[in-house]
Amino acid sequence: MCATIWIFPNERGRVSEAARINEGELLVTAVVGDVTSPSMAANPYEVDADGRPVVPVGMGGVCYNVKVGMSALGWAGDQVEPGVSIANAVAPANEALNVFACVGNRAVVRSGDAAGVEGVVVGKHEVFMGAKHVLVHLDDGALERVVPGDRVLVRANGRGMRVAERPQIACHSLSPKLWRAWAPELRVGSVAVRVTRVLPPEVMGMGSGRVSAVTSVALQRGVDGLEGLRLGDLVAVSDWDATYYTGYRSGALTIGVVACGDSPLLGNGPGMTLLLSAPAGFLDAELDPDANIAGLLELG
Amino acid sequence: MVLGIQAAVSHPTWSGSYAIDDYGRPMLLPGMSGVVANVRVGDAVFPWAADHLEPGVSAGCDDRGRHQALQFLACLGNTVRVVGGPAAGAVGTVVGKHAFVLVDFPQAALDVLAPGDPLLVRAHGQGLRLSEFPEIAIRSLSPALLRALPLQRTDEGRLRIDVALEIPAQLMGAGLGMSSEWANCDVMFTHRDTVERFGAEGLRLGDVVVMHDQDHRFGRGYRKGMCAIGVVAHGGYGGLPGHGTGVVTIMSGRREQFEPVLVERANVRDYLDLPE
Repeated sequence: MCATIWIFPNERGRVSEAARINEGELLVTAVVGDVTSPSMAANPYEVDADGRPVVPVGMGGVCYNVKVGMSALGWAGDQVEPGVSIANAVAPANEALNVFACVGNRAVVRSGDAAGVEGVVVGKHEVFMGAKHVLVHLDDGALERVVPGDRVLVRANGRGMRVAERPQIACHSLSPKLWRAWAPELRVGSVAVRVTRVLPPEVMGMGSGRVSAVTSVALQRGVDGLEGLRLGDLVAVSDWDATYYTGYRSGALTIGVVACGDSPLLGNGPGMTLLLSAPAGFLDAELDPDANIAGLLELG
Repeated sequence: MVLGIQAAVSHPTWSGSYAIDDYGRPMLLPGMSGVVANVRVGDAVFPWAADHLEPGVSAGCDDRGRHQALQFLACLGNTVRVVGGPAAGAVGTVVGKHAFVLVDFPQAALDVLAPGDPLLVRAHGQGLRLSEFPEIAIRSLSPALLRALPLQRTDEGRLRIDVALEIPAQLMGAGLGMSSEWANCDVMFTHRDTVERFGAEGLRLGDVVVMHDQDHRFGRGYRKGMCAIGVVAHGGYGGLPGHGTGVVTIMSGRREQFEPVLVERANVRDYLDLPE
């Protein structure tokens, strides 16, 4: 008789165990930004994919009527940033704000009419040769009271995150709070996370070659599979690596959250803030149409 | 129009910290800006310990507005003259665009040119259209290089062009989303695995290539059924992930308007008969 006891993982190697992170090692630090105001060149026209002039609207400042959970497509704008967009006027401090702030972090308005109100970091957006913004969700009442220039404190927590037993997985811009709500699952050799869709590598447009810790990458308009995309959707991209920088890598998988809306410009589109990346086989994408941070973070 | 644009040989700069290459290693490599005296257009792309290797001379302007004008107006095949310093009088040719305008000079000039040496670029080509192919957008292509390229109109009314490599859309990296005329678009040949998987080991600086499912008419981005023709401008095997081998856009249009023919050698050094 064979005495070996076999433990059969169920379908796709599932062992139904929560994947753990090094939460006890992670610092909680304060970084600040001010609510931005849109800025433009003297000539406001950009040229869209078909050679027509367009005036881009939606980047920077406060957007009252576009929120996480709504469609990322179909707005008459360019990379619309939902809610409140903040940045630090001192360039190196803004880099730190954008590196340290993680999706799911608490944000507290520190000045103006809305002082004391709390919000949630929902994404980061890097614009070519331009701004790096942290996007903050506030409830409607606070949104009406906040104005450009108001100071916002982010209680940054998440940088330095590692996944226990899976050192191959790089974590970026991902708070422990979102990790717990998302509840990635430990599998034999891998970690499984819920996403709304898996996109092919050619979807990655502007943002290729950027520093993963700080940036967003545009999901290019025109690539199949973007239909129905919502702000806040958790999305995977195959054959894409974001361990340090963002770029093509056969077999790798990168997962992010849709932070801003579509763009009429070639090579641009909804911006995805990077959360996780790993070489072939270490991350599994599990399809779940409800994998959106509006629900996971219970945004009001 | 032919415009005279002031420029100068640039100087390398450094951010003060390491970058990280596609193998996860800290990287500090030369290649961008200034004078690279021992690598020229026509040489192989990969066998160099370099990042964003700009062959020959990298020309720019200290003034940002003037630099942008140089970037947008300079076209491949334009003539460049050294107007000061020990190499004064030497004549070169624009062979690429990156953060700078890349100029090939004869070896004798490359051996004496230094950062700061003043140059005059005779910019000629933006606005060029092919009367027989009005739907094909032409970008950064001088009449001189256009005449030198072995182009043919096929019986089916397509534009036949020799290319050294076909590049699929998933390899297009940094440069997407930028203006068609500005710098170039990187092909993500930053890891040996990718270079071998796509058969690019023999690629040369100055090679003419076709990029599939790319619309580079009004900016650069993905569009199924279109393609772009470009010239390899910068190389080296080191590289930031997401960057790689830069390709300057010279044409873009619907795929069926082109007949790219894969050949052993399709290089602007031969087409322009650049001097040793």
